[in-house]
Amino acid sequence: MTMVFDSSTPAGQTVALLPEVVLSLGTMAVLLVISWRHDGAASSRRAGWLSLAAIALSAAALLWLSMNTPEDPGLGQMIALDGFRFAGSALILLVTAGSILASLGYLEREQLVAPEYYVLMLLATIGMLFMVNAQDLVVLFLGLETMSVAVYVLAGYDRRSPFSAEAALKYFLIGAFASGFLLYGIALVYGAAGSSNLVLAGAQFAQGSLTMMARLGLGLLLIGFGFKVAAVPFQMWAPDVYDGAPTPVSGFMATAVKTAAFIALARVLYTAFQGAVVEWQPVIFGLAIATMVLGNLVALVQKSLKRMLAYSSVAHAGYLLCAIWPGSSVGVSAMTFYLLGYGVTTIAAFALLGALGRSGERELTLADVGGLAQSRPWMSFAFAVCLLSLLGFPGTVGFIGKWYIISAIAASGHPLLAVILVVTSLISVGYYMPVIMAMYMRPASAPLVYHDRGLAGTARFAVAVSVVLILLLGVWPIQMLQLADGAAASLAQTASQAVGGE
Amino acid sequence: MSQFLISIGYGQWILNALILLPLIGVLPIVLLPVARAKQLALWVTCLELVLSLGLWWAFDPATSAMQFVVTAPWLSQWGISYTLGLDGLSLFMVLLTTLIMPLAVLSSFKYIEQREKLYYGLMLTLLTGMLGVFLALDMFLFYVMWELMLIPMYFIIGIWGGRNRLYAAIKFFAYTMAGSLLMLVAIIVMMFQGYKATGTPSFAYDAFLASAPQMGGLAPWLFLAFALAFAIKVPIFPFHTWLPDAHVEAPTAGSVILASILLKMGTYGFLRFAVPFFPDVALSPMVTSIVVSLAVIGIVYGALVAMVQPDIKKLVAYSSVSHLGFVMLGIWAATLQSVQGALMIMIGHGLSTGALFLLIGMLYERRHTREIADYGGLARVIPVFSLILVVTALASIGLPGLNGFVGEFLVLVGSFGRYPWATGIAATGVIFAAAYMLWALQRIIFNRLDKPENEHLADLTPRELLVVLPLVAGMIWLGLYPRPVLDRMDAAAKNYIHLVQPGLERGAASAPASATEARP
Repeated sequence: MTMVFDSSTPAGQTVALLPEVVLSLGTMAVLLVISWRHDGAASSRRAGWLSLAAIALSAAALLWLSMNTPEDPGLGQMIALDGFRFAGSALILLVTAGSILASLGYLEREQLVAPEYYVLMLLATIGMLFMVNAQDLVVLFLGLETMSVAVYVLAGYDRRSPFSAEAALKYFLIGAFASGFLLYGIALVYGAAGSSNLVLAGAQFAQGSLTMMARLGLGLLLIGFGFKVAAVPFQMWAPDVYDGAPTPVSGFMATAVKTAAFIALARVLYTAFQGAVVEWQPVIFGLAIATMVLGNLVALVQKSLKRMLAYSSVAHAGYLLCAIWPGSSVGVSAMTFYLLGYGVTTIAAFALLGALGRSGERELTLADVGGLAQSRPWMSFAFAVCLLSLLGFPGTVGFIGKWYIISAIAASGHPLLAVILVVTSLISVGYYMPVIMAMYMRPASAPLVYHDRGLAGTARFAVAVSVVLILLLGVWPIQMLQLADGAAASLAQTASQAVGGE
Repeated sequence: MSQFLISIGYGQWILNALILLPLIGVLPIVLLPVARAKQLALWVTCLELVLSLGLWWAFDPATSAMQFVVTAPWLSQWGISYTLGLDGLSLFMVLLTTLIMPLAVLSSFKYIEQREKLYYGLMLTLLTGMLGVFLALDMFLFYVMWELMLIPMYFIIGIWGGRNRLYAAIKFFAYTMAGSLLMLVAIIVMMFQGYKATGTPSFAYDAFLASAPQMGGLAPWLFLAFALAFAIKVPIFPFHTWLPDAHVEAPTAGSVILASILLKMGTYGFLRFAVPFFPDVALSPMVTSIVVSLAVIGIVYGALVAMVQPDIKKLVAYSSVSHLGFVMLGIWAATLQSVQGALMIMIGHGLSTGALFLLIGMLYERRHTREIADYGGLARVIPVFSLILVVTALASIGLPGLNGFVGEFLVLVGSFGRYPWATGIAATGVIFAAAYMLWALQRIIFNRLDKPENEHLADLTPRELLVVLPLVAGMIWLGLYPRPVLDRMDAAAKNYIHLVQPGLERGAASAPASATEARP
């Protein structure tokens, strides 16, 4: 029997935040445990496993909540209770779990053991869950800041590495800058709409064209989000930060942070500014093209594999912007599915990169993976599958994702953006395929310095699951596509309250 | 025979079996020891051949409809299904594929000496991909298969290829991908245009055929996207530059598969998709003049460049550009003879060029050089090899009584009425072909035996004979008695002409008008 709660009561609102509450309690518990058992690899490992348990409990709460949500949660809630939130939360929990699994062995190998690492990751995740569930700009901002502060520390986690420190500082300064834009945007939107609630603001903006103030607010919000998703021209921090941070953190930032920011961006645009599609469409169009072109072109000339993946993640932000552009439910669905495929693939790719290299992986180049297929056939296979998925090759989840984005664009009747998308994807052949080529077709470089280490057990598990998912969803994506469709439809329903609620 | 086939329900499972069997074979190949894996690959490909031979009898030549259709839902909400079917266009492509593959596997037994399990696994994946391209009746499935065969070929060239293999592999990959990605956009856009008109999303081939005339202003762009993908694959001049590199660098079996099967996918794409979807665009005077000129340029240019190649493999590679030009001419002439001729060249070229590459590979295994200048007088040392090489070369030239003649003759006869000038120039290609091939033969197997290294070459082993003799038999059979083959492609060729008829009529109506307008 399902239990339906009333989300208008204080108790009901707590229930509406059950996954967040559970995860917060879990984080506290981990924090408590590590204050007793702090030193040594064992306690770090224990903290990691406890964090995974907290994630699992939160996921269970999320599942329960998604099955017991009231049909009509009512107007003006600060917290969204729709399938789109649940999908976003599930994605974030999934990639966080993957990041923790990838970190477990990595931290010990790089002698970075300190159990706070996992606490910070959980805190960031709590912030992300709030970004995803926010139906109010203030909640969104709180979530974003919680996430950002935790990730700033994570980026600088390797205290001995100057690059890690640089990454943290850069990320912090630029992040603070972006928050400023976002906050100013929120203030202006509030001023124009008389409410910081997205649905109520949407009702306000649905009548006629936007005022100057609202338009300015929208612009500042887009700039703020542009920084967070690393869209060109707001991407300049991303490569340095992804490059300098410890590799599992880079993976975490490239997937979880991006997912949270994109889900939040989509919700803001589709709820508050659904009546103003014509206002933001050209901006997204421009951002998408610039991001795809620049991300792909610059990735082409990178020597370090880690930096190449960093720029490739910028390029993927461009593809995701393409999914937002049509302003349609199909677009949101395509974005959600793409985030799943991209998340699974990128987590595995960074985990493999972390396993291959050492001391931050900054030096790992094409030459170092030469002939890897001979000494490490399974790792090479996994890496090749990940790269093909990022390339969007049929048979992998990346292809289904790109197909769905192109479909969303084509459904809008203006296929120009789709043409630009495939042309820029073609550029990415130039940096993904050489890696496969090096692994399989080149002879091994003289000293096999990078071949001696395999994946740690947990990371191996994460990569194996990812590879299976990449291939499985590449052939049989129907359930996930339907879930994404459902999530997008429920966002549309939430948004339609704004128009219907007049 | 057909009674027996009906009794085992052949039509219901054959296409599924052909597609899935190689994929099923990949796993044991990964697990078995090398020697067994090799044998298993050979057995799987042989089984495919035996199974597919039933198509010859079970195929009904009277109808142009798709036969042996099997369908299963895939992403039905989005109009995507797993649908396979076969008609007179694809029948021979499928048979050619299943015939070439066991020979390619057998010919690799000695040539491929490292990472064999990976190699044979890729060969089987490639087989699935190629058959999928010819059998798919769902545009989404077609695209997936079209790209799927790219990866195995990329690895086959890149791992087991010659000195410049990395460059050739990436060039091959990038060229094909460049064409096909735009085709993907075109497929999706067409699907949505049809969706708008009918209200149900469908990637089915028939639905595309039905909705294609309503594309309006998008039609030229959509045609361009399809045509680019196929033109690169054919390859039509000036998109051919990947071909010599890929052919020369690929291992023998790779070259054979490239020449015999992969090149046919481009022309098959034109016959099946690009031209029937958009006959108005494809056969408009402007596009026609471009394609026909490029085809003729390809014929003459390919032959002339082949003539001066010092490398045998490169010579054969450029001869492919020339032969495929005839196919393009036949497709665009769109008369019964020309289309049948085009199909005959596709089959014949698959047999004779495949055999040429196999023979060159055998020579290479003995002498480790492909320079024509390194040979001479081989007829005295290895007579059996030389005899087969002569027969194959003559078939490739188009000597009456061998396969090449039938196709080229039909194309020239069928196209002359429509494009007299172009056909006239194309006919010189036949003469050039005789020149480069006979000259090469003269330098390789005749002349004087003046290189001491060539004096002790071993003649063909029984295994090698087993590899080439089926192809030689095919060449002679097609040359002497092509009737049964022509009968089976008759309905499909007529159907193609029927489909492109509106474009032909419009093209014919507007061509003289514009010609008179141009004159003051």
